[in-house]
Amino acid sequence: MSVPMVEARAVHKSYGGVEVLKGVDLTVVRGEVTCLIGPSGSGKSTLLRCINHLEKHDAGELRVDGELVGYEARGGKLYERNDRQICAERARIGMVFQRFNLFQHLTVLENITIGQIKVLGIEPDAARKRARELLARVGLENKEKHYPSQISGGQQQRVAIARALAMEPKLMLFDEPTSALDPELVGEVLDVMRDLAVSGMTMIVVTHEMNFAREAAKTLYFLDGGVIEESGNPREVLSAPKSVRLQSFLSKVL
Amino acid sequence: MKTNGDDAVKVVPVRHLGQWVAASIAMLIVAMIIHTLFSKIPTGQYTCRVTDGIRKCRPITEWRFSWDIVFRYFTTSEILHGLLLTLEITVLSMFVGIFLGIVIAVMRLSTNRVLSMTAWTYTWFFRGTPVLVQLFVWVYIALLYPTLSIGIPFTSVTFLHFATKTLFTPFVAALVALGLNEGAYMSEIARAGLIAVDEGQIEAATSIGMTRRQTLVYVMIPQAMRVIIPPTGNEVISMLKTSSLASTISVIELLGAAGNIYANNYLIMPLLIVASLWYLIVTTVLSTGQFYVERYFAKGALRTPPPTPIQRLRRDVAGVLSKFRTPRGIVGARP
Repeated sequence: MSVPMVEARAVHKSYGGVEVLKGVDLTVVRGEVTCLIGPSGSGKSTLLRCINHLEKHDAGELRVDGELVGYEARGGKLYERNDRQICAERARIGMVFQRFNLFQHLTVLENITIGQIKVLGIEPDAARKRARELLARVGLENKEKHYPSQISGGQQQRVAIARALAMEPKLMLFDEPTSALDPELVGEVLDVMRDLAVSGMTMIVVTHEMNFAREAAKTLYFLDGGVIEESGNPREVLSAPKSVRLQSFLSKVL
Repeated sequence: MKTNGDDAVKVVPVRHLGQWVAASIAMLIVAMIIHTLFSKIPTGQYTCRVTDGIRKCRPITEWRFSWDIVFRYFTTSEILHGLLLTLEITVLSMFVGIFLGIVIAVMRLSTNRVLSMTAWTYTWFFRGTPVLVQLFVWVYIALLYPTLSIGIPFTSVTFLHFATKTLFTPFVAALVALGLNEGAYMSEIARAGLIAVDEGQIEAATSIGMTRRQTLVYVMIPQAMRVIIPPTGNEVISMLKTSSLASTISVIELLGAAGNIYANNYLIMPLLIVASLWYLIVTTVLSTGQFYVERYFAKGALRTPPPTPIQRLRRDVAGVLSKFRTPRGIVGARP
């Protein structure tokens, strides 16, 4: 079996004395969708942010694509990676945020090309061509000249997905991608994510959409109080939760 | 409901009596001021004529504001040369100020304590001493540092050598003083703009692999501009007038040129009016330019850009004209 895309062993993270992650173990297999569910403050977002180097974990072992996150192991020592190396790694991990975070001063097309041009060093013409392909893929080919403030939340989130895909990521992280959307706009974003899952993208999705978790995910993790309370096949976990905390969580959200 | 066979019901708008009274008083005062601008005053001299053995005299009058003299000096070469110098000082020292301001602001926001404290000290010093004092210090800087040289610090090895006096002419001293002083103010403006950029924008830039420098250049600064531009426009206009302080270190800019002329002919008021009119003209041009620059950097932030001054003027005229028409329509249908 190949090396897992993400492997976390006893990962800890504290913010100013408050321990948010208290030893998380998690394995994400290549080409699969993994969903993280749990109450707010349970550490789901923090875990995603650690995987993407947006935060530094304090203890434990976190590997992405077999490589230690933020460190390089050489000759029995851990060398902290410099900014340039970390940026290069981050570029290959796509991230989609709850509040879209599209660049407000750039058009839809420019949002998708800027990373390709400035980070990957792709020629502008080639970048635009690829951006248009991705816009067609998320169903927004006629919006390329709009600014983010001129399109709906669902459309913004689809552009954000295209922006992340433009970097040709090996892993996509979704941090509550539909939580800031009006109910009627949730479907269009989930559709794009389902397509992406079918195409074989490795995805970690923090979500409150239990139906999406049940259908699209291969593995489901339930986080509570900074630890994994329960995990497994989403259909089994969701229909027959073993732990009391998951039972009470599900009774509130379902 | 039909009232008198007409489909529409007459709408009576609210009359703002207080506003009418206040506007009338304001108009009266403005009219009085305008009248004084174009009135004549007696000079104290008389012109006399003898007709049929009778001497008739009448007082000689002149424009209160000496518009004829103002007009005569308005475009003399000394004044125009001074105006050019004023514009040069304003533009160049603003360039120095804006560049320094951004650098200092970025240093101030750095996680490195040495850099941020250096930036803080810079702002503290240059904002905390009068700009007039700074002008004098820079023009006499040779008293403190007679020579400047480029070499290895704390050794006697030097590669290049200057006499400070030849380097710091009054013009250069004015640029350095005004530029460094402006840098301190601009750094606070730039810092406010950078802080105003949403955290999510920075995270998004980071997540697609941008380095901190790339994030700053491609995401933070363009978005900060929207916040930075309006106060910077203020600073440019302020600098235009502050540059007149350079006349105190014998840089003959606009006010200096006017001063040189009235020192010879004692036409103090007319020449001060000449200088003021030029300052007003340039300020007007700058304000218009500021509007369009703001409009440019607002792209993406506003769904519909604000109207241009011409569009707004047209709308205002249309609004005033419509006041003279009797509004007719269904009650409540008017917006």
